[in-house]
Amino acid sequence: MPELKEAKELLSDMTKKKTEIDFSKGFAELEEIANWFERGEPDLEEGLKKFERAGELSKALKSRLEEAENKIQEIKNRE
Amino acid sequence: MQILSVTQFVTYLNETFKAIWDPNGVAIEGEVGSFKVSQGQWVNFELKDEGALVACFMVLGKLHLPIEDGMRVRIFGYPRIYPKFGKLSFNVDRIELVGEGAIRKALAALRAKLEAEGLFDPSRKRELPRFPSRIALIASRESAAYGDFIRIVNERWGGLEIDLYHAVVQGDKAVDSVMSGLAAAHRHGPYDAVVITRGGGSFDELMPFNDERLVRAIYASKIPTMVAIGHERDVSLAEEAADIRGSTPTDCARRLVPDKRDVLYEISQLHSGMMDSLEDLVEGYRRTMQRAQDGATRWIEAFRLRVDSLIRLIASFNPTAVLKRGFAIVLDKNGDLVSSTKAAKPGLPVSIRLRDGEVDARIEGSQGTLI
Repeated sequence: MPELKEAKELLSDMTKKKTEIDFSKGFAELEEIANWFERGEPDLEEGLKKFERAGELSKALKSRLEEAENKIQEIKNRE
Repeated sequence: MQILSVTQFVTYLNETFKAIWDPNGVAIEGEVGSFKVSQGQWVNFELKDEGALVACFMVLGKLHLPIEDGMRVRIFGYPRIYPKFGKLSFNVDRIELVGEGAIRKALAALRAKLEAEGLFDPSRKRELPRFPSRIALIASRESAAYGDFIRIVNERWGGLEIDLYHAVVQGDKAVDSVMSGLAAAHRHGPYDAVVITRGGGSFDELMPFNDERLVRAIYASKIPTMVAIGHERDVSLAEEAADIRGSTPTDCARRLVPDKRDVLYEISQLHSGMMDSLEDLVEGYRRTMQRAQDGATRWIEAFRLRVDSLIRLIASFNPTAVLKRGFAIVLDKNGDLVSSTKAAKPGLPVSIRLRDGEVDARIEGSQGTLI
């Protein structure tokens, strides 16, 4: 069942991305979607799609904020 | 008796000076006079006190302080007679200002000079990204400033990569150490920001952050700079040249990263705002559909009423209803209507349709027009 395998890979990619999301880009996309809604576009189908995407983003951004730690390393070899 | 040439004599004296003079261990202190720079590379001045003066010579490249007449300084270097002119002058390697007053005066002059050059111009200050992901930190790893900075960043934000470039932040080596950190950060980049920080200290301890070379290096940085030197009164020139200035290492951390609690709240707000918009959108659709449905219902109702009245109208034309009221219909044998005396010629066989059936008959004669 090749399709199933593909779907599983996609899913694992997605969950991986949730912790590795580029916060800045993710937040910018979320803001862009919020602006789309604020403009009051009358496209329900598009709205549902965007809302779903916004849900994914919010979740990923939140978990990134709650879980990620700052990484500190000393750069010693300067040459 | 020994006879020396003039050249030999001057050479002998210069070698003697070199042998007995310790250029790092001895300084001459006095007041500067007749200070001038010639050809953009040579510096000449006199150093004097109440009883004497000595001519001084220096290469401009070694001068890192704004010197002017009347300043009290200490000079390091060695005495030398210029063979061609037979004049003694002091070759200066390094100048130190004496007394906080003189240092402050020099600092004010340097500040004015750099300001005039536009090093502190607010219009060229860059903004930091709202969510930095990778920064360079130039600080002393043992310092409280470093600890405070990291603690506040950790409290507020997550997922930031911090590369520490350990630096000496006070004393003779500080300027070179911080500058080499800055240069290294440019090689290791890209970074969203480079942060230079140290805690408070005495006026003397913070002087490296007023050094012209360091200030220019910060000004020239390709990475946006944030400088926070904790102190009570004075803002260092390094901070003035930076894109963003923090008053303390802690303040610096607060300016660098947002508080994640605020951002989490903001995300929730964005999301619920969208949910409201989406609900509005769905509600709008529902209302439109309701309106369409109501319109259709009203239209059908009106149509039905119209059809009803038509049906009644048509029914009123039904000939059987007329027959019921006592009228009769006369037809010829072809079934065509005989409705005029002209068609009803005497002898014409006809069929008369009555309320409950038909009877055959024949036209007997005419009585002329009835009406």
